Amino acid sequence: MTNHFIDFKNSDVFLMIGSNSAENHPQAMKWIMKAKDKGAKLIVVDPRLTKSAGLADMHARLRPGTDIAYINGLINYIIENNLHFKDYVVNYTNASFLINPEYKFEDGVFSGLVEKDGIKSYDAKTWQYQMDGDPVKDGIREEAIKKDPTLQDPNCAFQLLKKHVSRYDLKTVSQVTGTPEEVLKKTYALFASTGKPDKAGNVIYAMGITQHTYGSQNCRALSVLQLLLGNIGIPGGGVNAQRGESNVQGSTDFAMLNHLLPGYNPMFYASKHKTLQDYMDKDVPKTSFWSNRGKFVVSMLKAWYGDKATKENEFGFNYVPKHDGKNRTHMGIFEEMSEGNIKGMIAWGQNPAVGGPSSFQGRKAMEKLDWLVAVDLFETETSAFWHRPEADPTKINTEVFFLPAAMSYEKEGTVTNSGRWLQFRYKAVDPPGEAKSDLWIADRLFKAVKKEYQSGGKYPDPIFNMVWNYDIPGEDEPNIDQVALEINGFEVGSNKALDSFGKLMDDGSTACGCWIHTGYWYVDKEANTVAAKRRMNKDKSGLGLFPQYGFAWPANRRIVYNRCSADPAGNPWNPQKPLIKWDALAGKWENADVPDFKAVEPAKEPGGQATPVTPDKTVSFLMQEEGRGRLFAVKGVNDGPLPEHYEPIESPVQNIISKQQTMPLATKFKGDFSKIADTGSDKYPYVGTTHRVIEHYQSGAITRNCPTLAEVSAHMFANISPKLARKIGVNTGDDVIVETIRGEITCKVAVSGVCVPLNVNGKEVEVIGMPWCFGYKGIATGASANDLTPSVGDPNTNIPEYKAFLCNIKKTGKH
Amino acid sequence: MSKGVLVDITRCMGCKACQVACKQWNDLPSSNPAFKDGLTSPPDMDGYTYTTVQIEVIEKDNDYTMRSGKRQCMHCLHPACASACFAKALQRDPKTGAVVYYPHLCVGCRYCMLACPFDIPKYEWDKQFPLIAKCQFCFDPNGKYDRLGHGLGPACVDTCPTGALKFGERDELLKEAWQRINRDPKYIKKVMGEKEAGGTSWLYISDVPFENFSFRPNLGTRPLPEYSHDFLKWTPVIAVGWGTLLTALYHYTKRREKIAAEKDKNVHM
Repeated sequence: MTNHFIDFKNSDVFLMIGSNSAENHPQAMKWIMKAKDKGAKLIVVDPRLTKSAGLADMHARLRPGTDIAYINGLINYIIENNLHFKDYVVNYTNASFLINPEYKFEDGVFSGLVEKDGIKSYDAKTWQYQMDGDPVKDGIREEAIKKDPTLQDPNCAFQLLKKHVSRYDLKTVSQVTGTPEEVLKKTYALFASTGKPDKAGNVIYAMGITQHTYGSQNCRALSVLQLLLGNIGIPGGGVNAQRGESNVQGSTDFAMLNHLLPGYNPMFYASKHKTLQDYMDKDVPKTSFWSNRGKFVVSMLKAWYGDKATKENEFGFNYVPKHDGKNRTHMGIFEEMSEGNIKGMIAWGQNPAVGGPSSFQGRKAMEKLDWLVAVDLFETETSAFWHRPEADPTKINTEVFFLPAAMSYEKEGTVTNSGRWLQFRYKAVDPPGEAKSDLWIADRLFKAVKKEYQSGGKYPDPIFNMVWNYDIPGEDEPNIDQVALEINGFEVGSNKALDSFGKLMDDGSTACGCWIHTGYWYVDKEANTVAAKRRMNKDKSGLGLFPQYGFAWPANRRIVYNRCSADPAGNPWNPQKPLIKWDALAGKWENADVPDFKAVEPAKEPGGQATPVTPDKTVSFLMQEEGRGRLFAVKGVNDGPLPEHYEPIESPVQNIISKQQTMPLATKFKGDFSKIADTGSDKYPYVGTTHRVIEHYQSGAITRNCPTLAEVSAHMFANISPKLARKIGVNTGDDVIVETIRGEITCKVAVSGVCVPLNVNGKEVEVIGMPWCFGYKGIATGASANDLTPSVGDPNTNIPEYKAFLCNIKKTGKH
Repeated sequence: MSKGVLVDITRCMGCKACQVACKQWNDLPSSNPAFKDGLTSPPDMDGYTYTTVQIEVIEKDNDYTMRSGKRQCMHCLHPACASACFAKALQRDPKTGAVVYYPHLCVGCRYCMLACPFDIPKYEWDKQFPLIAKCQFCFDPNGKYDRLGHGLGPACVDTCPTGALKFGERDELLKEAWQRINRDPKYIKKVMGEKEAGGTSWLYISDVPFENFSFRPNLGTRPLPEYSHDFLKWTPVIAVGWGTLLTALYHYTKRREKIAAEKDKNVHM
C-alpha cells in the first residue's frame, strides 16, 4: 500500500475493485466505516454481490477479467470531461515528457513485439523518452528529457494516453464489461470528483485485480488513474493493495519471490551477472534513489558472509546461487515437477494442493517427488497428498516428513501488515507438543546441512562461510534479537544498529540484511524500546499517522510519495490535511510524516549545519529514474507502456476492443498444465471465478481445523443466479457438478442474487462464484475450486489467472 | 435503568466475529451444521449456539443487496419466557436487564420456547436430559461466564470491528438510535425493540425491513406476560398447591399402610 489502513478514515471516495474488504480485510472495513460516517462514499466494482458491495453506496457488476476496460473507461471519462488534476499531472507525472515518435499501438499490440522460439516478448526501444544521451549508459535523467508542459505535443505521454483510452467510451466499455452504461457513468462521475485539491480518492484492490494474465497491467491502470486525479501521496488517497495474509507483505519484503533479493533488489542471474560489477553496471540505475542499490546489495552480502565477505572476493558474490533464467514461479516449478525434474520440495506454511492452479494436476505432479517436507500447523492436503481421495498410496514412493510449526501467537517476531507497518509481537502461549517456531526450524535445518557438508561435498564455502551466530547458551530458541539486528543493519566492528539506510555503504563497513527495514531495530529513546516494539498512541497530526506505533518501512514513512501532497511551492493541496509543508518564512519544511524526498542537505563536515532543500529542488517520485509518476511506463512492466484490455485466456466472447484476443505475452505451460477451453466454448459456457470467505484463511489449512471456524463455513458451494438455477433445475442446497476442461468438482449450490447474468454485447453471460478454501483434510472438508482453474500467468509476475475461466454446471444424479 | 445493545444493520458486514466470540467465551461446542446458503451458518441458533449472524440477499432497486443481522435473545423488559416458566428457571435481572436461564431449576417443559415472540430459546434435542439454550447477555453472577458483572460489555460487542454492535444504557442507546435514524434518511423510521413485546434490551435499526432477519411482522407492543398473567399467575399456586395436596395424600396413604402393617404385626404377635 502507498498509504495504510488507519489512513482510510481520511478518504472521500473509495473505489474498491477486485477486493472485498468486508470478507477478507475486516479491519480495513472498520476504517472505511469511519470515513463513511463523515460522508465518504464507497464504490465496489465486483462481478459478485459481495459483503462489501452490500455496504457500498454504488455497486458496479462487471464480467470477470474486464477491469482494464472499466478503468480505461474511467480514465477516458476523466480526460474527456477535463476532470484530471492539471497542476498535479503537469508537475508530478511524466505527462509532458515526449516519447519516441516511432512508438506505435496497432491491432492491440505495442511496437516492438518479437517472437523467439515460440515465445513472445517486447523490445521496449520505441517506448523510451526523447532525450539527450543514452538512457542505459547515462541513466534516465529528468533534465535530459524533452518535454511539452502544455501537454499538446502528440508524442507527449499525456496525449498518447488520451489517444489510447479514447477507444474506451461508455458504450464500448459496457459492451465489454456487461455493466450498464448508467452504472458506469454514475460510478465514473463519483470517483472522478476526487480530482480536486481538497478531495481524496482511495483505490483499494486485491487478488481480483492481480490474478489475471494482465494483472500487472490492471495495477498499472489503477496507478495511472490515481496519478491523473492527484490521489497519490496524499492522506486518504493511494493505490492500496490489500495483501492476502497478515504477514505476506513481510514475506515479499524478504524476497519470497524467485526474481528478487531482499528489499526489492533484482536477483543475481547466471546469464548476465558473471561478477558483482556486472550487477552494478546493469542493475543499478544511474539516477533516482535506486542509484544506491549497490550499497544495499553489498551490505546484504556483508550481513550474510561477515568477515568472509571482502572486497577481494566481491563480498561473497560467488557464494550466492544464481538464477538459471528458467520459470521458477509456482507454475514453472509444478510443470517441472510433473516432468520429474524436481526431486524434493519443502512446503513451508504453504498448501499448493489446495491453493495452486489446476490443483488436481498439481497433486499428481507431487507424486514425482522423492521427498517432501511439510512445515505446518496441521496435516494439510499437501502433506497428505499421497492419501488423497483420488490416489492409490501403494503406488506413491514419495517420502513425506511433517514438521509441526508454531502459530504466530506461539512465537515472537514481527508481522508486517499491508500498510508496511512492522509490529513486533510477543509470544502469547507455548506451542503444543513438538511444534517449533519457524526460526528454530530454519536454524536446525541450516545446522544439519552444515554438518552434512563436513563429511564432504561440492563447494561447501557458501555454507561454511555463512554467518550463523544465533545461539544463546542454554537456550533452545535461536537469538531473535541477533537476527533482527542483522536485518536492521549495523556498523561493522562496533555492531551498533543503524538508524537509517542512508548510512549504508558499499565498501564493507556496514552490514544489512534488508535495507528497507533499517531503523526498525533502532532504539527510540522516548519509547524506551526498538522502533518495531513501540506502542505509543500519539498522533499529533490527527491524520492517524501514529509515528511511534511500530515502524513503517521505508524510514518510518506512513504515506509514500508524500511530496505530492503539496503543490510545487510546498503548500499542501488540502490545508486541512497537511503531511508536509514548506515554511517560507522559516525557510524549512514542517512535516507531519517522514518526507519522501530530500528535505535537508546533510552537513558537509561533521558538526556542521544541515541546510533545508527548497521546494523547487525536490523530487516528487524519488524511486523513479525520471523522478515522476509514470502515466506512460517506459520501463517496469514488460507487456506494454499503457494498460490495454485483453480477454482472459478462457473467455466466452471475442475481444471487441482489438484483434488481439488475449495478452500476447501470457505464460503458458506444457503437459498436464496445458489444457485451455476454446473462446466461446459451448461445452463450458459460463464464467467461473474464485473468491475467499471470511471464515477461512487462504486454503483453510488452519481455519478448517478450528472447530468454531469450521462450523461457521462448513461446506463447499457454488453461487449461481436464480435464472441459471431454473435452467439447470436446482435449488439452494442441491448437489451440483462444476466442470472445466481440466476437471470437475461436486459441491452444494447457492442460488441468490450474489451472481446475476450480465449482458455482454448482446450475449447473456452467467457468472459462477466459488470459494477456493476447501480440501479433503481438516474438520470442514469439501472439493477444491482450484481443481478447475487454468495454469496460465501474467508475464511480469506469473500470477495464475484464478479469477476468470470457463466452466459448466449441472445437477448431480443423486437427488 | 438497565443495559442494552444497539444493533445497526447498516453497519454490520457479516463477519461473524461476534458468533465465534460467543462460542469461545461461553465454552460452547461446535458442530458440523447443515448447509443453508453459503452465508449463514449454522442455519439457525440451536442448543449450542446462542447467536447467529443471519446474512440475507435482498431484492432492491431492480438488483440485489446484502445485509447481515446478528440474532440472539432480545432480553425483554417483560420476558414472556420467564412468565411462562413455572419453575422460575428464567428470571430477569432488574439491574442489567439480562434475562437469565438457571438450568438447575429447569424441568425441561419447553413452555419458554412456545412463549417467546422472537423464537429464541432452543433445546438440546440430542441429550437424554436436555436443557434450554439461549444468550445470557454475558451475565453470570458468581459464575465463570460473567462479563457484565465485571463492568465489561458482552463478548460479541467487544469483538465487533465496525461498531455494528454498541453496548450501553438502554435509555441512552434508544436516544442514539433515533438520532441516527433522524440524521440519515436511509433508515426505516423504527427502532425494533423500543416497544415490541413491551420493549427489549437489544434494539435494532435498519434500512431494510426487519422481517428479513426473521423478526415476526406485527409483533405487538403490549408486554406478552400481560396476556397470560391472569391465569399463569396461578401456576406456582397450582403447582405448589397440587403438589402439596398430592404429598399430603401420599403421606396419608402411606400412614394408613403403616398403621395397617402395625395392626397386622400386632395380630401376628
